[in-house]
Amino acid sequence: MSRFNRMAASLIAAAFIPVVAEAQLGSPNPLPGPQGTFAITNARIVTVSGAAIERGTLVISGGKITAIGASATVPQGAQVIDGTGLSVYPGMMDAGTSMGLNEVSQGANATVDDAEVGSFNPNAIAYYSMNPHSAHIGVTRVVGVTHVLSSPTGGLVSGQSTLANLGGWTPAAMTIQQKAGLVITLPRAGGGGSGFGGGGFGGGAAAGGADATRQRAIQLDSLRALIADARAYRQAMDAYAKDRTLPRPQPDIKLAAMVPYVRGELPVLMQADRAVDIRASVEFAVEEGLKAIIVGGREALVVSALLKEKNVPVIYAHVRTLPSREDDAYDINFSAPGQLAAAGVRFAIASGDGGAQVRDLPYIAGMASAFGLSPEDALKSVTLWPAQIFGVGDRFGSIEIGKIANLVVVDGDLLEARTNTKFLFIDGRAVSLVNRHTTLFDTHKDRR
Amino acid sequence: MPLLSRATLALTVAVAIAAPPLAAQRVTPNAYAITNARIVPVAGPAIDKGTLVIRDGIIVAVGATVTAPADARLVDGAGLTIYPGLIDAYSTLGLRAAPPSGGGGGGGGGGGGAPPARPAGAPNSRQPIGLQPEVRAIDQLVDRSDFTAAHGAGITTALTAPQGRVYEGQSALITLRSDDFAAMAVRPTVALHIGFQGIGGAYPGSLMGVFAALRQSLIDAQHYREEMVAYTKAPRSAKRPEYDPSLEALQPVIAGTMPVVFRANTQREIERALDLAKEFKLKAMIGGGLESYLVADRLKAENVPVLLSANFPRRTVAPAADAEPEALRVLRERVQAPKTPGQLKAAGVRFVLQAGGNHADFVANLRRAVASGLSADDALRATTLGSAELFGVADRLGSIEVGKIANLTVVKGTDLFAADARVSSVWVHGRPQTVAAPAAVTAARPAGPAGQRPGLEGTWQMQVQLEGSERIVTLALRDRDGWLSGTIEGDLGASDVVNLVVEESGEIAFSTTVTTKEGTDEAWFRGRLANGVFSGTISITGQARGLFAGLRQQASSTNREDR
Amino acid sequence: MLTTKFRASLAVAALALTTGFMPAAAQQAPRRVPSMLIKNATVITVTKGTLQNTDVLLENGKIARIAQNIAAPAGAEVYDGTGKFVMPGIIDPHSHGMSDATNEGTLSVTSMVRITDVLNPTAVNGHRSLAGGVTMINILHGSANTIGGQSATLKLKVGRPIGEMLPAGAPAGIKFALGENVTRKSQNAVPGGPPRRYPATRMGQAEVLRDAFTRTRAYKADWDEYRARMAARPAPTTLVAPRRDLELEPLVEVLDGKRFVHAHGYRADEMVMLLELAKEFGFTVRTLQHALEAYKIAPEILAAGASVSVFADSWSYKLEAFDAIPFNAAITVHTGVRTTINSDSDERIRRLNIDAAELMRYGGLTEQEALETITINGAWQLGMEQRTGSLEVGKDADIGIWTAHPFSVYARVERTIVDGETFFDRQQDAANRAVRAAERAELEKAEPNTVPSPRGAPSGPSRPAAPTGENR
Repeated sequence: MSRFNRMAASLIAAAFIPVVAEAQLGSPNPLPGPQGTFAITNARIVTVSGAAIERGTLVISGGKITAIGASATVPQGAQVIDGTGLSVYPGMMDAGTSMGLNEVSQGANATVDDAEVGSFNPNAIAYYSMNPHSAHIGVTRVVGVTHVLSSPTGGLVSGQSTLANLGGWTPAAMTIQQKAGLVITLPRAGGGGSGFGGGGFGGGAAAGGADATRQRAIQLDSLRALIADARAYRQAMDAYAKDRTLPRPQPDIKLAAMVPYVRGELPVLMQADRAVDIRASVEFAVEEGLKAIIVGGREALVVSALLKEKNVPVIYAHVRTLPSREDDAYDINFSAPGQLAAAGVRFAIASGDGGAQVRDLPYIAGMASAFGLSPEDALKSVTLWPAQIFGVGDRFGSIEIGKIANLVVVDGDLLEARTNTKFLFIDGRAVSLVNRHTTLFDTHKDRR
Repeated sequence: MPLLSRATLALTVAVAIAAPPLAAQRVTPNAYAITNARIVPVAGPAIDKGTLVIRDGIIVAVGATVTAPADARLVDGAGLTIYPGLIDAYSTLGLRAAPPSGGGGGGGGGGGGAPPARPAGAPNSRQPIGLQPEVRAIDQLVDRSDFTAAHGAGITTALTAPQGRVYEGQSALITLRSDDFAAMAVRPTVALHIGFQGIGGAYPGSLMGVFAALRQSLIDAQHYREEMVAYTKAPRSAKRPEYDPSLEALQPVIAGTMPVVFRANTQREIERALDLAKEFKLKAMIGGGLESYLVADRLKAENVPVLLSANFPRRTVAPAADAEPEALRVLRERVQAPKTPGQLKAAGVRFVLQAGGNHADFVANLRRAVASGLSADDALRATTLGSAELFGVADRLGSIEVGKIANLTVVKGTDLFAADARVSSVWVHGRPQTVAAPAAVTAARPAGPAGQRPGLEGTWQMQVQLEGSERIVTLALRDRDGWLSGTIEGDLGASDVVNLVVEESGEIAFSTTVTTKEGTDEAWFRGRLANGVFSGTISITGQARGLFAGLRQQASSTNREDR
Repeated sequence: MLTTKFRASLAVAALALTTGFMPAAAQQAPRRVPSMLIKNATVITVTKGTLQNTDVLLENGKIARIAQNIAAPAGAEVYDGTGKFVMPGIIDPHSHGMSDATNEGTLSVTSMVRITDVLNPTAVNGHRSLAGGVTMINILHGSANTIGGQSATLKLKVGRPIGEMLPAGAPAGIKFALGENVTRKSQNAVPGGPPRRYPATRMGQAEVLRDAFTRTRAYKADWDEYRARMAARPAPTTLVAPRRDLELEPLVEVLDGKRFVHAHGYRADEMVMLLELAKEFGFTVRTLQHALEAYKIAPEILAAGASVSVFADSWSYKLEAFDAIPFNAAITVHTGVRTTINSDSDERIRRLNIDAAELMRYGGLTEQEALETITINGAWQLGMEQRTGSLEVGKDADIGIWTAHPFSVYARVERTIVDGETFFDRQQDAANRAVRAAERAELEKAEPNTVPSPRGAPSGPSRPAAPTGENR
């Protein structure tokens, strides 16, 4: 008999959920079952938005949380999970990933679909690169990361991010919000400007010294021009819609893609790590009337006053990044989230990973807590806060009636590495804990 | 009295330099007497007012009561102080000049006629260039274009060494005279010089490989000696060892009769040199010695002298307002450097001073050393007799004594180390030499020795593209006597730059430790400097290659402060 | 107004200025290691269980006693460990820290090169590793060639002379490497770049090994023959010893079992190849490093007497890592293969405790089994299990003091002690920040750090003060 009984038992426990059909076992990512009615009883319920319920029942129905509480009743026909000794948490959200857009980053370039050619790709949408069957998805969700913001990269305007659940037959089935942010990386500020920043590697590299400063100005000007064009485009479209006697504007998918962002309806994700770049990004966003979110944000603390004043949130993706200077304090990045919180800057913690290591998100938040962020805030920084920053705080990030049932049931503290996931729900569907790794494990664990 | 006017003097020198070999040889009278001068012989007490007589390049009389011979050309030394000619204890003087600095592409300068950065290898060597201990500076003296600057710093004599990679070659002690090259030699071979740069592209390519290659060659030299001894004893019964010029050249080194100068600046470089010297019982010297003060106890205990560079580092460019802060150790290093000579002296470490390729600031740097704790007498000794003793020529050079070579440094005023003193002339082999107007102490970098002069020094903001993602790193390169070293900081972690080499093709390569998501490994940067952009490829073991491009951080004056 | 404490800091900074900024290494003369008593802590001994409310006495660099209510010897530092967790210093069997070079990548066999020649005793990664509770690392050559260079076992006595960091009697090691890093297949050829180097395939790697060990056997035979002839009486007088070959000498030590082989391998087949060749030439592989697919061949590894040192959960970063699973260690441990977690990274080395904790989630290792992967098992892999890797009386005092159980993500290191001396102290580290800031301000004003104006007079401080409201 194998020594892996416990693990096997937990997998079976997950598989007991009848919606996980026999036929799906063995595929890398078993797909979630239909939205049913589930009741988790006798569990500790960590709501995040309010006080934890030490022993209560949580009911899921039609994809949503329909009841919570010590005295909540189990509906007729519900599949009941005895949560004794277990805790229910809202699923975590990682807002700094390229999940599903690439598989093997090196030596298998054909599996990398996260960066388009050229500097301006506002019309590129992560959604269309997203592979719902990426092996990264299955191994990530079993730690309780249930939804991610997956972003394209490269160029000045990389494209649009997609907010997606980690499970679904098709990109459409996964997607929470297809267009959730526009990724912009300004050319590097100061210290020599852009060698190749947004302009493609070759172009800028030929320029030196003052040329580089000029190049940066040219790149910024072309970005400003694009934004102005997008406004004009929208204005012309609106005008034409009202008055058909006007000349019919020529359609342009790049400009059309920019419209909701230049109007401040959707956030612009400005990738910036150095203080000088963060400052430049915030100032650019203010000048252009964009709704900015800083992504990366390594030195956000240096510009915390500005970030707070302009109410620009940060997706902090550098807890585990090595200090960049030899004289930096050893914990400069471990302690940054705690200090951002103290400085009153809105933020969320992200892994900053392309996909494979997104599963480390809970430990990353935990480490921030070891270095100054309160455990409650550490939990919020990977649940409620990212949801709020992306405008989906009314549907995700905490356990409240009416919210979407992205939930994880664990046998300990959600952020601890020793904790085991017992049950997982995404979009109110039970999700098997089987994935590429458990399958390989099962295949080899009993070899003698 | 027929005084030699300054104009005549200059003319004489000009003729000496410009004159082609003449069909009819012109003989120049070669007896001189400098009168009424203050004389600091170093070997004895100073003479406040005396006369110094030179004949056929040799000092024949010196003293307060000496009378100028009737046939001597008289030089009025009133208001002047005569010192023994200063000795630059480690230079590349007389060897091939460096290629023009990078960034000169396109326009004039540069061009196809640029000499190679390093001396050609030895003919018929069995070893690749860089591993040839038989290379000799004395065979490669071809260029005296930098003598004028040296003379301006009061330097009349120099240890000159080829600059290469591992076995750089053997140095010569030369006088900086302006006639024929062979005659410059006072000692044609002084020491074998070793540097720790890999030879690039081939084994040894890394710092580790350098030590392994050095060890193997020294072991091979020992084996060669054993085989030769056995063969000499019984030529017909032993296998005849084949002649090997490299192993032959190492024989005096492993016998401890020829010193080895290790080019070493950091504490750990010095310690590595000392360890290797101990392992093979080499007679070691340290060339450079920036952090020698940290190893003072050991240097003293092991009786290893330091050819200490007086090219003290300093900040030369104002950092941009948003520039990355310089590392604390860089700031410390600059403050420490002028104190090091005094500290070595106090610790009892034997040392002499070298210009570190920076002749323009040499005298000013000596003054800084004196202001920072070294006595003027010790500073003088470390630039005259001390070097002569160390290089085995104290019977000929290093002090003002009868019978010694008339290499002299003449200073206007009474003290070389006074702020307003300046070198008014130098005498080499008994002949006065042109002295350029004293160079102002400027922020501009001096021309360093041959070898590595790609114009890379400074702080570079580099963008590195690896696997589609972009990282920003700051590359800070410092010039230590013409050899670049530095650090990298930023998105790839903080680490030292090692193995920096500039290929003759102009390619610049260095390695450093980087940390990416996959882990920590060594990265090799290879690139070129063109139009002010340093760009090329980065290659990490086990990872995809990437591209990098960097621009020098600009001075604050050009940066707009707009917040 | 300066506080007294801050004045003291300034005084320290001023002292540093006058002494020429000698690092700790240079200033500290050899001194007797002070005693230290850690009181009333939770003591994770690893080999003798976890003890509550227990004291640990450190004397002369060793663990002198582990018991309750130990009286403090005179002069001992007493540390209140109430609420704290004391564990053995973490051992990282695969690091490239504290070193100025990693690869001699020019040749396929570079057994002649030595990490000990290029150590950097003040590298900043040393301090950061200590802050993660690590006390000993195995510094390996890189994975650029089939047979790489000689490794170094190093205690993280950062700032001390290199000689003090290399524990006497630590067995020698050497790096081998297999797979993509050697064939360089994951690197795209760059036009004008270096040509492909042999070997470009896994079968070529096998032949590099076979060739090297065949030559080693012949070399060894030459020396054996020479020694035999020299042993004859009377000894021959004209016999010259064979040429010493620094490439083959360490490989002779491998054949003689005197040098541990630490072999980088990813795929199961390449590791099996090495184990077969090792058997053919009669040596044992001490560790398979990374061994991402060890779980596929755990019985073979066990049979070959090898151990494995793996990543906790890294995978998918390249093709040969696509079958890496976080359950790898669980399978090897349960098969009976000695298993460790390594970092191979200046970043990951700072949190090996969390990597080990993950093993409890992935495959259900017990806490004890998981603890062993970052302590005693690593000591064994480096041949140091008699000296360190657990808290036992008589062993080296290599210790981390943590604010919570080291497997908790909320835990932080307060102190790291190597051979009885504190090399990381979080409070001290925090205090040093002010000292260093004061030192920097002082140094910026010093003449050599100001830019000479064109006329030669030094200008004022060139770096403008940070804009208000910013705290760099």
